[in-house]
This record gives sequence, structure tokens and C-alpha cells, in this order.
Amino acid sequence: MGSRASSLLREEDIEEIKKETGFSHSQITRLYSRFHSLDKGENGALSREDFQRIPELAINPLGDRIINAFFPEGEDQVNFRGFMRTLAHFRPVEDNEKNKDPTAEPLNSRNNKLLFAFRLYDLDRDDKISRDELLQVLRMMVGVNISDEQLGSIADRTIQEADTNGDMSISFSEFIKVLEKVDVEQKMSIRFLH
Amino acid sequence: MGQTQISTGNEGQVTIYCIDTDGDSHGGGQEMERESKNQKEKKTEKGGATRSRRRRSEERSEERSESSRDGRKDRRRGGKEGRRRGRQGKEEEIKKDRKNNKNEKAKKQLESNTNHSKSSSSSSSSEEEEEGEKEKVGDEEFVVGSLSPEELERLKEAVDERKKLITTLRGKPWPMRKKLPTLRESQLFVEKYEGALGKGRGRKLYAYKVMMRKKWMKFERDLENFKTACIPWEMKIKEIESHFGSSVASYFIFLRWMYGINMILFSLTFGLVMVPEALMGRPYGSIPRKTVPREEQASAMDFAVLWDWGGYAKYSVLFYGYYNNQRAVGWLKFRMPLSYFLVGVGTVAYSYMVVIRTMARNAKEDGGGDDTSFNFSWKIFTSWDYLIGNPETADNKFASITTSFKEAIVEEQESRKDDNIHLTRFLRVLANFLVLCCLAGSGYLIYFVVRRSQKFALEGLDNYGWWERNEVNMVMSLLGMFCPMLFDVISALENYHPRIALQWQLGRIFALFLGNLYTFIIALMDQINLKRAEEEIVKFNMTAWQANLYNGTIPENSTAPPITVDPADVPRGPCWETMVGQEFVRLIISDTMTTYITLLIGDFLRAVLVRFLNHCWCWDLEYGFPSYSEFDVSGNVLGLIFNQGMIWMGAFYAPCLPALNLLRLHVSMYLQCWAVMCCNVPQERVFKASGSNNFYMAMLLVILFLSTLPAIYTIVSIPPSFDCGPFSGKSRMFDVIQETLESDFPAWFGKVFSYASNPGLVLPFLLLMVLAIYYLHSTSKTYKHANLELKKKLQAQSEENKKKNKLAAQKAANDLEQAKIMAAAEQQEKEEKQTNNNASRRGEERVIAIAF
Repeated sequence: MGSRASSLLREEDIEEIKKETGFSHSQITRLYSRFHSLDKGENGALSREDFQRIPELAINPLGDRIINAFFPEGEDQVNFRGFMRTLAHFRPVEDNEKNKDPTAEPLNSRNNKLLFAFRLYDLDRDDKISRDELLQVLRMMVGVNISDEQLGSIADRTIQEADTNGDMSISFSEFIKVLEKVDVEQKMSIRFLH
Repeated sequence: MGQTQISTGNEGQVTIYCIDTDGDSHGGGQEMERESKNQKEKKTEKGGATRSRRRRSEERSEERSESSRDGRKDRRRGGKEGRRRGRQGKEEEIKKDRKNNKNEKAKKQLESNTNHSKSSSSSSSSEEEEEGEKEKVGDEEFVVGSLSPEELERLKEAVDERKKLITTLRGKPWPMRKKLPTLRESQLFVEKYEGALGKGRGRKLYAYKVMMRKKWMKFERDLENFKTACIPWEMKIKEIESHFGSSVASYFIFLRWMYGINMILFSLTFGLVMVPEALMGRPYGSIPRKTVPREEQASAMDFAVLWDWGGYAKYSVLFYGYYNNQRAVGWLKFRMPLSYFLVGVGTVAYSYMVVIRTMARNAKEDGGGDDTSFNFSWKIFTSWDYLIGNPETADNKFASITTSFKEAIVEEQESRKDDNIHLTRFLRVLANFLVLCCLAGSGYLIYFVVRRSQKFALEGLDNYGWWERNEVNMVMSLLGMFCPMLFDVISALENYHPRIALQWQLGRIFALFLGNLYTFIIALMDQINLKRAEEEIVKFNMTAWQANLYNGTIPENSTAPPITVDPADVPRGPCWETMVGQEFVRLIISDTMTTYITLLIGDFLRAVLVRFLNHCWCWDLEYGFPSYSEFDVSGNVLGLIFNQGMIWMGAFYAPCLPALNLLRLHVSMYLQCWAVMCCNVPQERVFKASGSNNFYMAMLLVILFLSTLPAIYTIVSIPPSFDCGPFSGKSRMFDVIQETLESDFPAWFGKVFSYASNPGLVLPFLLLMVLAIYYLHSTSKTYKHANLELKKKLQAQSEENKKKNKLAAQKAANDLEQAKIMAAAEQQEKEEKQTNNNASRRGEERVIAIAF
């Protein structure tokens, strides 16, 4: 399939994607063939069902949220450009590109990685994780094993820990603060094959 | 699958690729290498996609936490276990799904193949022709070094084409037998001509550089792989960790660590004691202590005797008694007794050093840092492992996340609850009382049994059956098996937090084992005293026998050596050291046997029964009563620790013990790994392993100390046997040091040593050391305290900030509200002023009411 797949990819597209995401040429072609193999409808775009066929995502309690992250708001198709843009969040940070271009922040910077994670929890996209959103996420993560009351207390404790400005929800800056000591650059990276 | 598409596709790729390699041909090389590795892997398996995806996940998992191996490993095992748990439907569904994913490429390949053959044979043949043409272009011989620019261009194109072909080969709708030769051929071609593509003059150098870089990268990667492969059992442990969590893995890591230590102990005793004596010492049968006595010779080779470590085993290099007290042996003038003594001391000293160093390192790792400040947030945001792709593992992960939340909640509640403290206290005291009773009872039982066995031994063991002979070991093993269960039941009374309960449980089992061990040692001491009394009699008889010998056989020549007597006929003492060594060896063997048998019966047989009887049973055996066993980490760790304690205790009298232990650990590693993977289920209660690690180490240290005590006591205070062992003829074993100092070192050294060992010098030195320890201890305490204070301060600060912010926010909100109300009221007022004065007054009142 690879040959046909990359044949559909025009050179200009590759150049643009390269510029936008920082992937190398061969990574792009490789990911394109992956994209193509996921694309069961063969229409050059992925639907939610296509993503759900990936076992890692099907099992993941936050799988739906991750899949959502691929889709722009209000759409249920994602083309290769969008696909790559999302994947670019997971590109590992390389040493030589840290000080290359200080003006434009690349998609795989720490901030953007964190923002991606933050969006997973921020269900209503109001840039705040509220108690209800936390409860929903917790429910996804533990199933029915824990009572509502206990989950509520966990959510309360979490907000209590993370909330610094007293609005009873977690904003992005507070989220960054919480995960300050977590090695996000490393943990939110996938080593794409070259 | 149109034929044209493929060809245009190829053209497109070629152009793209040229640009790329022009820009960065190093990258091209690396890329190629990686690709070729992928492709090589592909050869082995037809579903190439699976393999490559697996590889991809492998690469990722190297970067991320080890638990990410779950997915890959589980894929292999998932089927078996899933069925075992009775979730067939789901499993099959997932399997099908997975299979779809795996084989989708292969399927498409097939489809396209059939399409080809259906549509027209000419098209496929033409395709092949085209390929052949391409190959022809590639196969033209290029003479490196004498190339015109056009030729160079063509060469470049050909190389790029090949590279492209390699990258896209996987997706080509060709049969495998065509893919493989094409791949091989292309790789060879690229390898050969890539170097020639350098610019201008430095062509050769460039080619060389490219080659070296490739080689270097390959070397580095191989080195990494080699390093991982060199860590023994690493893969096994990782596999277990992915299924059973870090606590079970911590046991196996501990086992491996223990194996390492025993390796050192073994090499010390084997290399410096056993081998020199066997090679350079006098041979077997030359002196009485190296010969089986006449009355035992008939049965010395019987299996029953050998199994009991009697006969030839007793009179061999394995036990203390065999060693000669000759000062120097062999042409090396190897100081045998000195070596024996120093190795005995050295093994213990080495063990102390290693254990304490490990403890210090562990303490450093888990000390410091305010990791607890975002406890809950971290649990929520970072607990899921995104690489899990297997339903079984995902279930486990769900369970462990739930448990961790539950644990956190329990901890929260624990810090607040204070219900009926009197009842709890009473129950706890009662539980401890019961446990003490158990301990005392088991201690008495062992003492009783040991006493009885002494009686049996005095009367001669031949009159008794198997049980009487093995009573002591059996009773000890049985107690070790059943008392922990009893403690578990008793501890239900106490209502402790699970982690604390676990530590209590460990402490109690520890006390039980220790009590048993010490009872055993005390009984052994009794036995030693008996043997020594016997020895006195033998000594007395010996002189009589010697006198008799001289009088009887060679009356006139009293200077003649008694060499005419066969060494087997010489009467000899009972040699208590060998007896002690034998006891320890027997204990170790029976302990090992019990462990393995319980493993086979308790785990394996149970699992087999539960698995196969489940089809024809009234209730669900898998979820119901017997179920599968869990891996008992604490019990196994304790067993390991006590086993090691016995090794430390007995190694001085039986140099073969470390070797035996090494064997045991080696077998344990494989057997337990197998048993865990095939008959255990993951624990319900997941607790963090890192916290309890130093707890194990502390127990090991205590055991080390307690097991060196009796050994040191016997060495220092009991005189060695007169006719066996390397120290025979000396009044104390450590006299060997003095002897060496006197005869092997210059006189001044001995003098300095004797001054240094003067109590007047030693005592102040000890005092100084105690003072230093005290000082360091108190300083570290102060630092810890200061750290805690600072942490508290930080917390308070952040809380205060929070409050301040909250207040400010509230105030702002209030102000806003008030302003709004005022504005509304004013407006209302204005409106109402025009109509009714009274109404406005009422309105004001209303506003005030709202505002307050």
C-alpha cells in the first residue's frame, strides 16, 4: 500500500507539513501509510470509528477524549494535515532544535504538550477543569467500583490541592503547576520511526 | 489496483526522494539502516505488519516506563489467561479485531494478487518486466572513481530508487518470494554504491565516513541490546512485572540480588578454601580425618547415607572436619588454616558491607522531595498507561488505579477517624497476646522435638523410622507454614491500615522464624556440649589405644611412627564442627524441599484442579472458594531472608553451603518464575513496592547480625576439636592469626599489632567511634527536622495564599453584586420617584434587605 499511499501525497504537501510539524520526510511518508491503513473508508480522511479500531485507544478510558483531540470542533472527519498536526504534539524534543527558532513555538514544546493533556480533561473547552469534569473523568477511570460519594471526595481533594486562586476549578496555569515535576517532555513523546 | 497507478507512484517517489537525499544524505543512510533492519525482521514472519508494529512499540517502550511492555507481552499470553478467567466472548472479539489489524496488510496483499491474476496475466507480467528493467539499470557496473557527471547523476538516481524501493517494499502487492530477493539485492546495491555519491574529491573519504558511521551506529545499538541481555533474568522479571505489578517483581529483583551476593560468597569459599584443599592438600585416605572409619565403610556409599550427608560426603571437602591443620599446603605454600579463617570472617564482613551500602542507597533514593503535595492530582492526571493495548492488562490497570484511589481514601479516613479507641486498644492487646502465645507454643514445640531427637540420636537412629529422623525439620517447616495463616486470622482483630498490618504480619512471622531458629541453635549448643564430653572420653581412650598399639605391635622400637595402622582404624573424636555443618546442610535441604513441594502442590496442583474441574463442578471454582493462588510476596521474601541467615550461620562449618544455596536460588528463580506465570493471579491488594524495600533490607541486616552472633560465639569461646578441621591442636580458632603474625611477619609487626590490640587503645577507639556515630546521627536528625519544618512552612504559605485569593475573589464578587444591585435600585428609584414617593422608600428597604 505504501507506494500508492505516498503517491497521493504531493511534494508541496510534504514540504508544508514538514515546516508546520517538524517531522522528517520519511516520517511523514511512513505516517501517511499508517494513516492510509487506518482509513477504511478510503476517502482520505479518518472518522471516529477508524480511530476506535486501534486497540490501545479502544481500551483506554480516555480514548474518546484522545480521539476527540484529533478532530477540529464540530467536524467528524480529519484529513492528513490535521492528523499530523495532532501527532506533532508527541514528537520528542530534540536537543538541536531547542534554540533554533525562539519566536515560533513548535507544537511539541512542553507547553503545547501540557495543553494537549489539559484539553483531554477539559470536556467543555472553557479552559477550566471543573469538579464535574473531574468526576466524569474519574468515573471513566475507575468504573463502578467506587461509590459516588468517595469519587466526589477525591475530586474535591484534587481541586483543593491544585487550585490556587480559589475558583474551585483547575485552570491551565494551575495544571502546569501540578505537573511541574513530571517529565512531560519525555513522557508525552513517541519515538516515531525515521 | 491499477497497474498505472503503481508506476506513476514510483516516478513520483523518485523525484521526491532525490530532493530529500540531496539535502541530507546522512539522514538517508540512517533511515536506510533502520529500514533494512525492519525489513530483515519481516523476513521471519509473514504478517510483517505485526512485527513492525511490535517493534515500534518496543522502541517506544524503551523510552517510557517498563510497564509499557504490558501490551506486547500480554498479546502473547492474553489468550490463555483470558480464557482461564472465563471471558471468552470478549476475548474472542478483541482477538478478531486484533487479527484484522494485524493481517489487514497481508489480506490486501492477497486481494491485490488475485486481482492481478484475474484482470490480466499480461499486466502482471508487464509489471515484472518493468521491474526487471529497473534492475537492469541498477545492475550496470559502475566503476567508482572514474565517473562522468552524467554517470554520477544516473548512479545517484539508481541508488535513490533502490532506497525508495526498500522503504516501500512492504506495501508492494508482491508475493513474499519476490520481495525477499528484491530487498536483498537492493540493499546490497545501496551499500555498494552509496559511498560513491560524495561530492568532488573527498569521495573515498566520504564513502569511508558513511560506512564507519553506519558501523558505529550498528555497534552502539548492538551494545545497548547486549547490555540489556547481560542483566540476568531481566526479561523474565520484566514479563512478571507487567503482569503482576512491581511488588511481585520486587521479590524477584531481591532474589536476583541475593543470587549476586551468594555468587561472591561462593567464589570466595570455593576458590580460597575448597579448591586449594582438594588440589594441594593431602589426598583422601592419607590421614584419619580424611578417611571413612572402618565401621562406616560398608554403608558409606549408600544413597540413604549420602542423602543424610554421611559417609563419603561427610569425609570430604564439603565439611569442616576434612581440612588438615597443616600450616602451608602445596608448592604455593598456601596458608590453609589462615585462609579458612579469613574467608569465614570475610564473607560475613562482605555481607555486612553490601547490605548496609544498599540500605543507604535506598534511603537516599526515597528521601527528600515534596512528592506528596499533589498526591491526588497526579493520580488522576498521570495514572493511566497509554501504551496498554490488551484488555487483560487494561483490566489490571483499572483495578490498580481503583486500588490506589481506595488506598488514598483509606489513608484520608485513617487520619481522621477515632471511633471507640478503647475497644480497638483492647482488641490489639488481645491480638498481641494471642500471637505471643503462638510464638511461645511453637518455640516450646521445637525445643521438645529437638530434645527428643537427641534422645533418638543417642539410642541410635537405625531403630527409628523416617518420621523420627526428620522430625525436627518437618516440625519447623510445618510451623513455618501454618503459623503465618494463624497470624493472618488474628490480625483481622486489630483493624490496622493495610500497610501497617502487613508490616505487623511480617514482623510476627519474622519473630516466629527467629524463635524457631534460635531454639534450634540452643538445642545445637546442647548437642555440641554432649559431643565435647564424648570427645574427652575419646581423647582418654586414644592415649590408651596408642599405648596399646605400641606395646602390642612394636614393643622395642617406640620411635617408629604408627604408620602401619590403616587410617580408617584410628579411633577419632566426634568432631562437633562437622556435626553443626551437617545439621545446617540438612536444614537447608529440607527447607528447599518444603518450599518446592508447597509450590507444586499449593500453586500448581491447585491451579490445575481449579482449571480443569471447573467444567464439572457445582459452583464456579475460579471465582468461588479455591480460586487461583496469589503470589505471597512477604512470605517468600522472609523465606529467602531466613535461608540466607542459615547460610551465614553455617558457612563456616560447611564450606559447601554457599554452593548449595546458589543452586537453590538458581532453581528457585526458574521454578518460581514459571509458577508465577502459569498458576498465580495478580494480587487484589496492590501496594507500592519501593516503600517496603528497605524494610526487607532492614530485616536482612537484623538476620545477618543475629546469625553471626552464634557463629562468632562458637568460634571465640569453644575450643576446636582435637583431631579434625584446620584448627585442630589449637586452644582457640583465632589463634591462627597470632601464629601467622609470629611466624610469617617480621617481629616488629607483631609488636605493633599487640600494642594496637591492647585494651587501653581499643576501648578509647571504640568510644570515639560511638561518639562519632552519635554526633552524625543527631545532625542527620536535625536536618530531617529542618526539612520537615520547611515543608510545613511552604504548605502553610500556599494555603494562606489560597485563602487570600479566595477572600479577594469573594470580595470582588460581592462588590460586583452590590454595585449591580445599587444600580438596579437607583434606576428603580428614579422610575418610582416620578410616580410614588412611598414606593421609593419601600424599594430602598428592599435593596438594603438584599444587600445584607
